[in-house]
Amino acid sequence: MKILEIKNLSLKSKKSNVLLLNNINLTLNKGETLGIVGESGSGKTLTGLSVTGLLDSGIFEVISGEVIYSNQNLLACPEEYLRSIRTKKISMIFQEPMLSLNPVQTIKKQLDEVIKLHVTKIKKDIDSLSKEIIIKTGLEDVDKILSSYPHMLSGGQRQRVMIAIALVCKPDILIADEPTTALDVTLQLQILDLLNNFKIENSMSMILVSHDLDLIKNYSDHIIILNNGVIVEDGLTKDVFEKPKHEYTKKLILSKPNKIITKNPGDKKILETKNLSCRFPLNNPFFIKNKKYFTALSNVNIHVNIGETVGIVGESGSGKTTLAMAIMQLLNYDGNIIFDNQNLSMLSNKDVRKYRNNFQIVFQDPFSSLSPRLNILEILSEGLVAFNKDIKYNELLDICASLLSEVGLSNDMLLRYPHQFSGGQRQRIAIARALSMKPKLIIFDEPTSALDVIVQKNILELIVSLQEKYSLSYCFISHDLKVIKSISHRIYVIKDSEIVETNSTENILNYPKSDYTKNLIKSSFLS
Amino acid sequence: MNKYDIYWAKFLKNKRNKYSLFIFGFIFILSLFAEVLSNDKPIIMSIDSKLYFPIIMTYSDKHFNGHFDTEADYKDNFMTQKLEMKSNWAIFPLNPHSYDSINLNKSTPNPAPPSQYNYLGTDDRGRDVLARLLYGFRLSVLFAFALTAIGILIGLFFGALQGYYAGKVDLYLQRFIEVWGSMPELYLLIIFSSLFEPSVLLLIILLSLFGWMGLSDYVRAEFLKGRNMEYVIAARTLGLSDTKIILKHILPNSMVSVITFLPFRISGAILVLTSLDFLGLGVPPDTPSLGELLAQGKENIEAWWLSISTFLVLTGTLLSLIFIGEGIRESLDSRSE
Repeated sequence: MKILEIKNLSLKSKKSNVLLLNNINLTLNKGETLGIVGESGSGKTLTGLSVTGLLDSGIFEVISGEVIYSNQNLLACPEEYLRSIRTKKISMIFQEPMLSLNPVQTIKKQLDEVIKLHVTKIKKDIDSLSKEIIIKTGLEDVDKILSSYPHMLSGGQRQRVMIAIALVCKPDILIADEPTTALDVTLQLQILDLLNNFKIENSMSMILVSHDLDLIKNYSDHIIILNNGVIVEDGLTKDVFEKPKHEYTKKLILSKPNKIITKNPGDKKILETKNLSCRFPLNNPFFIKNKKYFTALSNVNIHVNIGETVGIVGESGSGKTTLAMAIMQLLNYDGNIIFDNQNLSMLSNKDVRKYRNNFQIVFQDPFSSLSPRLNILEILSEGLVAFNKDIKYNELLDICASLLSEVGLSNDMLLRYPHQFSGGQRQRIAIARALSMKPKLIIFDEPTSALDVIVQKNILELIVSLQEKYSLSYCFISHDLKVIKSISHRIYVIKDSEIVETNSTENILNYPKSDYTKNLIKSSFLS
Repeated sequence: MNKYDIYWAKFLKNKRNKYSLFIFGFIFILSLFAEVLSNDKPIIMSIDSKLYFPIIMTYSDKHFNGHFDTEADYKDNFMTQKLEMKSNWAIFPLNPHSYDSINLNKSTPNPAPPSQYNYLGTDDRGRDVLARLLYGFRLSVLFAFALTAIGILIGLFFGALQGYYAGKVDLYLQRFIEVWGSMPELYLLIIFSSLFEPSVLLLIILLSLFGWMGLSDYVRAEFLKGRNMEYVIAARTLGLSDTKIILKHILPNSMVSVITFLPFRISGAILVLTSLDFLGLGVPPDTPSLGELLAQGKENIEAWWLSISTFLVLTGTLLSLIFIGEGIRESLDSRSE
């Protein structure tokens, strides 16, 4: 039974006149999950928003089309009617639970508000209903959760609360817009299972918007693939994944990172950490000497061989980035870090600066890792100038141009500014900046997490080809086991500031020892 | 086209920016030549076929066969009669009054309304309002530029220090600023103006001591934010020194807040000077100042030419400064297209 239908929906941006959605047609049946897949900017979220009439009419303009729900065209409905069906009949969950909850109100207040508006105004019923829905979302200690403020909850708890608010009215349709993207992989599975159970229990329909193919594959019945605002493929999930028709779909499915490393590493150690520990003081009063500490790393022993890629995988808050910062000598630590037979922990800040060209880092967010006020030439030449003050401008120009071609960009881009580049291009520039120092070791801190899958694959291939060309050693940090798997020779699993498991990539994946690793593998849809 | 050309083109694209800058710039440049435009001495004159340049040189009365060693008064009967003689001539500036010249031969009581002799009338001591406005405007703007420049330098220095090094440095400096900022500025000004002879320099020093704090807070916040940006960490991994990181990476990215502040600080400084003069705590009494004119306008409420002309000059200046500042900020923002 059809419950929602979008017919010939076209949408453009008022300001730039760009067509954002072009002739979208889709049908949602009762009790069915429809997956919408696409890269960022492909119009997935816009499609979701247009259903609930939440599009900002100052920015977007509907050119043509209808959104039909219970025999009414929602696009032509007055705002009052839309308000009465939002959350009650059609509900939405967004990606970032911290941004979707009001930070100055308790969970109970925010939940009650919805119930009062759409279900009942009797105090007793409100209380029982709010408790019931929180229990259903799998949260324990209901009273405590209800009286908390959003910042007191973890990311997973917040997302559960968001789900509770979205589902308390038992809507017909739930639009989940990247519901798990901001969460750790192990939570991802739990949240999606929760949504799925709700769906089955209340014979609800769901639109699941995601960039993650595996997730969509596992949870949706029907799937549409969006590219630049056009539906390029539409069909049953099984059919689409088994027999993709469109070129783009094939590319998307193939972009799933497979093993791309070929060369085997040497056996000489380039980096070794011995009993590396790191702790931060916690809100200490000024007059009392340091009392409490947060341990970010405890007794971490890792090593990297020449030409080897070591994957470090763990959830957010496990200490991955702290480890990277410690190796980069950017924060104080206990223990020893031995790089190329030189104990870095013995050196003063000034002496460390002389070694800095040997180890470089590439960050996760290509938007914040490049200074917005410097052009590409200035960004790339900075380190070169710092190490060689007499270097000539022409020489710099040559080096920077060759660096750009090394990472697959053309050298006429040298005088442009970072905001003129796409995310993938910026990440290439960040890699070029690291390369400019001719390092022996590069640490990648989630270098592909902010990128679309197809771009992600290209960046990974670039990283591997550079390794083979210059026999670089890599430390590859990620929460994404799929990426780690494709690029690493050896894997360290880090949890709660400790290394829980280490082995070669094949052994870790096939014979995981700790429960945590097993869980991680399961959540990453690798099993 | 380099980036400054782009900024300039962007700035001029907005007509409001363009006109504000041209009007303000034109008047400011004019006021820099106030001595030539509005003076009670002739620019050039010829007496007994000898050329004199009274604006540049000082001639005593005795030069012209007078009795005094003091500088000649070119409006005095003695001099006017000399100038009226045949073959003697003088070219006076467009407005033949200086800021402190008093016309003693006038029949109307002071303050006198605008006449063909005093284009904007006179104040309560018989001094020409136009001349006082011109000189007062120049003084206000130069004063504001100096005060702002000093304030920005000190503010940037402390803000950068606090924000970049954070921790203890930040803690102690912040406490110092709190103590320093809670000192009563106005009382200090009153005390100092009775201790020392009031002068523009004294005012600049006193106001600079307190004027940097608002800005340093903004710079500190920007630096605290900036020091943890990934591009700053990246710069540290490239082996750049602290000074270089501050100057090249954090400062340019926090300049927006400084530049946003700039027009408001300049107009604020003009206002401070005006209000101090209005209260009689500012520059010494003889100095031409907008505030003093406003105070006179208040005391002689029927003398509309005092208050209205000063009001127009003041608002015009403040308004155009703010428009210019807004224009600069918009054109420097590399993110806006």
